[in-house]
Amino acid sequence: MIDALIVFLPLAGAILAGLFGRALGDRGAQAVTCGALVVAAALSVVVFIDVALGGNARTTELFTWFDAGSFELSWALRVDTLTAVMFCVVTIVSAVVHVYSIGYMAEDKSIPRFMAYLSLFTFFMLMLVSADNLVQMFFGWEGVGLASYLLIGFWYDRPSANAAAIKAFLVNRVGDVGYALGIAGIFLLFGSVEFDQIFGAAADYQDTVLTVFGIEWHALTVICLLLFIGAMGKSAQLGLHTWLPDAMEGPTPVSALIHAATMVTAGVFLVCRMSPVFEYAPDALTVVTYVGAATAFFAATVGLTQTDIKRVIAYSTCSQLGYMFFAAGVSAYGAAMFHLMTHAFFKALLFLGAGAVIHAMHHEQDMFKMGGLYKKIPLTYGLMWIGSLALVGFGIPGLGVGLAGFYSKDIVLEAAYAAQSAAGGFAFWLGIAAALMTAFYSFRLLFLTFHGQTRADQHTFDHAHEAPRVMIWPLYLLAAGAIGAGAIFYGFFVGDGRETFWNGAIFALSDIIEEAHHVPFWVKALPMAVTLVGIALAWAMYVWRPDLPAAGARLFRPLYLFSLRKWYFDELYDAVFVRPAWYLGEGLWKAGDGALIDGVGPNGVAAVTRSLARRASRLQSGYVYHYAFAMLIGVVALVTWYIVTAGG
Amino acid sequence: MDTASLTTSLIAALPEVFLACAGIFILMVGVFSGARATHTAMLLSVAALVGALVLVLFGPSRAAFAFNDLFVNDGFGDFMKIVVLGAAALTLIISFGYIRREQLDRFEYPVLLVFAVVGMLMMISANDLISLYVGLELQSLALYVVAAFRRDTLRSSEAGLKYFLLGALSSGMMLYGMSLVYGFTGTTSFTVLADHFAGQAAAGQELWLGALVGLVFVVAGLAFKISAVPFHMWTPDVYEGAPTSVTAFFAAAPKVAAMALVVRVLMGPFGAWVEQWQQIVVFVSIASMLLGALAAIQQTNIKRLMAYSSIGHVGYALVGLAAGTEAGIRGVAIYMAIYVLMTIGTFACILCMRQKERMVEGIDDLKGLSKTHPLMALALAIFMFSMAGIPPMAGFFGKIYVFLPAIEAGLYALAVIGVLTSVVACYYYLRIVKLMYFDEPAEGFDRPVGREVGAVIAGTAVLVLFFFVAPGPLVDGAAAAADAFFAVAG
Amino acid sequence: MIVQTLCFYLFAAVMVASAVMVISARNPVHSVLYLILAFFNAAGLFVLIGAEFLAMILVVVYVGAVAVLFLFVVMMLDVNVAELRQGFLQYLPIGGLIGLILLVELVMVAGFVITAPEVGEAVARVPMPPPEQVTNTEALGRVLYTDYVYLFQASGLVLLVAMIGAIVLTLRQREGVRRQVIAAQIARKRSEAIEVKDVPSGSGI
Repeated sequence: MIDALIVFLPLAGAILAGLFGRALGDRGAQAVTCGALVVAAALSVVVFIDVALGGNARTTELFTWFDAGSFELSWALRVDTLTAVMFCVVTIVSAVVHVYSIGYMAEDKSIPRFMAYLSLFTFFMLMLVSADNLVQMFFGWEGVGLASYLLIGFWYDRPSANAAAIKAFLVNRVGDVGYALGIAGIFLLFGSVEFDQIFGAAADYQDTVLTVFGIEWHALTVICLLLFIGAMGKSAQLGLHTWLPDAMEGPTPVSALIHAATMVTAGVFLVCRMSPVFEYAPDALTVVTYVGAATAFFAATVGLTQTDIKRVIAYSTCSQLGYMFFAAGVSAYGAAMFHLMTHAFFKALLFLGAGAVIHAMHHEQDMFKMGGLYKKIPLTYGLMWIGSLALVGFGIPGLGVGLAGFYSKDIVLEAAYAAQSAAGGFAFWLGIAAALMTAFYSFRLLFLTFHGQTRADQHTFDHAHEAPRVMIWPLYLLAAGAIGAGAIFYGFFVGDGRETFWNGAIFALSDIIEEAHHVPFWVKALPMAVTLVGIALAWAMYVWRPDLPAAGARLFRPLYLFSLRKWYFDELYDAVFVRPAWYLGEGLWKAGDGALIDGVGPNGVAAVTRSLARRASRLQSGYVYHYAFAMLIGVVALVTWYIVTAGG
Repeated sequence: MDTASLTTSLIAALPEVFLACAGIFILMVGVFSGARATHTAMLLSVAALVGALVLVLFGPSRAAFAFNDLFVNDGFGDFMKIVVLGAAALTLIISFGYIRREQLDRFEYPVLLVFAVVGMLMMISANDLISLYVGLELQSLALYVVAAFRRDTLRSSEAGLKYFLLGALSSGMMLYGMSLVYGFTGTTSFTVLADHFAGQAAAGQELWLGALVGLVFVVAGLAFKISAVPFHMWTPDVYEGAPTSVTAFFAAAPKVAAMALVVRVLMGPFGAWVEQWQQIVVFVSIASMLLGALAAIQQTNIKRLMAYSSIGHVGYALVGLAAGTEAGIRGVAIYMAIYVLMTIGTFACILCMRQKERMVEGIDDLKGLSKTHPLMALALAIFMFSMAGIPPMAGFFGKIYVFLPAIEAGLYALAVIGVLTSVVACYYYLRIVKLMYFDEPAEGFDRPVGREVGAVIAGTAVLVLFFFVAPGPLVDGAAAAADAFFAVAG
Repeated sequence: MIVQTLCFYLFAAVMVASAVMVISARNPVHSVLYLILAFFNAAGLFVLIGAEFLAMILVVVYVGAVAVLFLFVVMMLDVNVAELRQGFLQYLPIGGLIGLILLVELVMVAGFVITAPEVGEAVARVPMPPPEQVTNTEALGRVLYTDYVYLFQASGLVLLVAMIGAIVLTLRQREGVRRQVIAAQIARKRSEAIEVKDVPSGSGI
């Protein structure tokens, strides 16, 4: 009952605000949606205590969905520790963002629509994480995609927002095809899409092979890779990441909720949820590790040179998602979920803080047009510091004291080291490199925005002002999470209490986290060390000698450009997919279309269809006796047919 | 028939009896209540239809056979009655504003429709060739009149006259077929016919040619009522000429009732001769799907377009019947229920097409509807997608539920043609979506559209869009309908 | 017996011939008259099989009421037969062909019955009460009001709908038409209807 309330309260809010927005007014819509979310968040905490800490995992059946022969499905809410964690993350961040949006979107024309979209997104996200079978999850999966599309393109009068929305939609389709094929594969293999049945039978199919095109494939590997393609699309992993930075065209609260804390983590959640299957597909896990590590490294390098404050954080998100994936790839699912949880807090904090900065600067997003803001907006400044320190994982290795990111990032890196495999080593060293760069770009952001002489024009700078209370107060909650969440939940997620905490919600063949606790000290200390180096570098280049960056960019111009242009991914895709498709299209149009298709192909068919259509409508002469005659002919034809076939 | 059996019979036919009495009552109220007569009569009629619906759903338990086996009650009949009553009530609701604006507000309008529904219920429950015929005539006669209801315009009168003449011809054919069947078997009762033919089939005998020809004539008459090709010719002209609210009614309830009748006749008395009548149904189905898909492309009038669309939909529903299996009948029931939803929603939108206090019917008048009436455009787009059979709309599932049994029954060609024609049909459905969303706005439609129409549009759109969330009730109901039917037919 | 057979063929032949004339006569008034003739012959056939009540009803209702009504209608409408026949020749070949095919097929069906006598035996006979025990009217009454009361009532509804339809489609409320209102006429009092004036004589008005 309480589970259903959590899931359906946001939907109720969305429906009220969306359909009756005009009647409710802006205030009413805000009150309804925020109220629903706050209640849902409170209930989520109750559920978390009951399910995760009390160990009462359960499945609530809502109603039967499909019952067509062998294919039987029902709507059910599966609430185990994994879901309870996601419930908390999603509803708390969403509630914070809802309240924050009251201030941020105060001057917008269509507030009810925005609030309705936000709540609708939350509903789909909750549906996704509480799904009891893959099809229901797919429903939530597509739903969050839809809501994300609507929110990215929320300012639909901006062409760039529309383009970004369409790009996000298209790139995600690629992933969704993989996901849908994965579901089909699971159904073929297991004869069911219900999690309980899949997980129960996964071990039986570990040696099953499929023969496709004469080649034998390991069935579970194929399925897991297909599912992972879906996860890559949603979580913006290397190759399918291009939509995420563009998605920053949406309003900043949207970026915080969807493109940092919740939706993009759906891929990680999927891998963790399907861990009982992934465990029997070690090759797939290796791929996950490599892709995750590469993404962590790649996105961090791009983050070094971006100038748009939101894009820096976006690439940072991409990079952190890479961490989560390679943690999952080395079977440290608990570590992945731990990092997911802490990341949700500090990244939402960073985004909303950046939103406060943008708000203060009258929608200026270029960091090189900021600077010296710490006097103007001290509260935001402090909050951004907390967020950044949490992101870089600041803490004291020997004592094990630090901010949230310190615990989660370290356990991820330690697990990668402890895996003692090629993939694990690859992930570890790229992760260390990424940590260095994370520290650099995070403090570059801080220094450029808040320190030094201002580069903003005088008018904007003078009018820079602290955000209203309704925007700042929610951030305190996130800041508390960014500081404390790591220390508090370390024991449950990856510490000694993990067995009872997870209670079978995730499954790993070998206990990699146990080994991660026994790695050499230098492994534990190294991330902090490189982080300090990164911070020092940033200080040197942007505070001590502000002329260094330009010199560096000149000296390493190719590298700089490589990073600035995001490794030329967009250009690459443009050259490999978009342009050839365009040329192909044009070529086909000129050569094939005119001659072949207009003559005999689809267009010919269309022409025949049209002429048939003309004839068919000409039958309709309007004379009654024609009609009567047609009926008679019909009867006679049928009678004749029977007499000839039966009698003759 | 003594008093006791008369009482059980009357209870068995309680919804019909109630509705007939209500019709007479409303007629009296209309005659004696002066200026507000139409409004009162409309409200009472909706109430009567809903009342009959409640009686079907929650009324006293009704005996299976009544009136000397002229009348039958079974799960199939109940399902179809629910659909018919619901469709009739909804079409009456959406025509409130229309008949007021178009000066059609005479109280006889709802009264005639109520009697037409009585006829439909009798058709659905017919267990004898004669009760079939009487029910059919009651329905048809009322519909002939309402088709010509706008007696001052040539088009409406022409529609009524055409419908009447061709309907009379089809009735004649059907009566001739019935007389052949009666002549060869000596009975008109479905129960006796079914036993007789089942025995004949079990003994390995061939169906007599005379009865077969009779069957062909009967089916031809019924095919006229569901406007299946080649007995469809009246449909576009009548749909276009009749007042729009009447067209909406034509497209929904009578189609369901006639389809139920086709199923009952073919699966009931002639259930043993599936291989024989399957050929007719396959032919009619293919012809309907083809013509529905092709002829609609050329149309510029949305009512004519809907006429061809309904012809096509009947073809799809017949695909399920052609399978002749329990799953097939279930498919027909599901398809008709979904068809009714989509059709009522679409016609509710068409009833809103007014510019400067005048009704418009051109497809081009829908241009740019998404800018002038975004919600209505969205709803209409949902209906069009659903009619085209694009997932996850309800129409897609309807098609699935009729095509799969056909494939299981080995009718591959039929299923393939069905899929191909639905691809062709996509063209004209999506053209409407394209006009609404990608063309520059034409003149917007008059506001307000009326609260009850808006509610019906929203309700049907939500049902069509979210059918996939919970198809359970409908599918279970339809399965029970098909099951009960098979249990009766043996 | 022979008389009966002869009468049967006489009535049947005249009936078929007049039916043909109904649809082929040039003058619609003649058509209706032939129709009346066909009805009379049908009544004769009914008498032959002992259904005297039906025969009388046929004469009274169809000849007496329906056909005469037809006659009135036909005479009131000025039907131009030549106009109706336009296009008849154009469709004659194909129409004739279809008709011919249908005829041949129906003959085949009928022939099938003759060549397969077992069909006639298999026909389920409706039990008929012997005519000596039950009178014509009683049998009809039982069928109509007991066995088929459902259909009887339903037919009543059909007629009601037909009546409503006829009224709806034809009745017009015209403005400015003076009607006789009998109730008002009866209810009038002397005091409302006339006024007594005391006219002095010889002075003019």
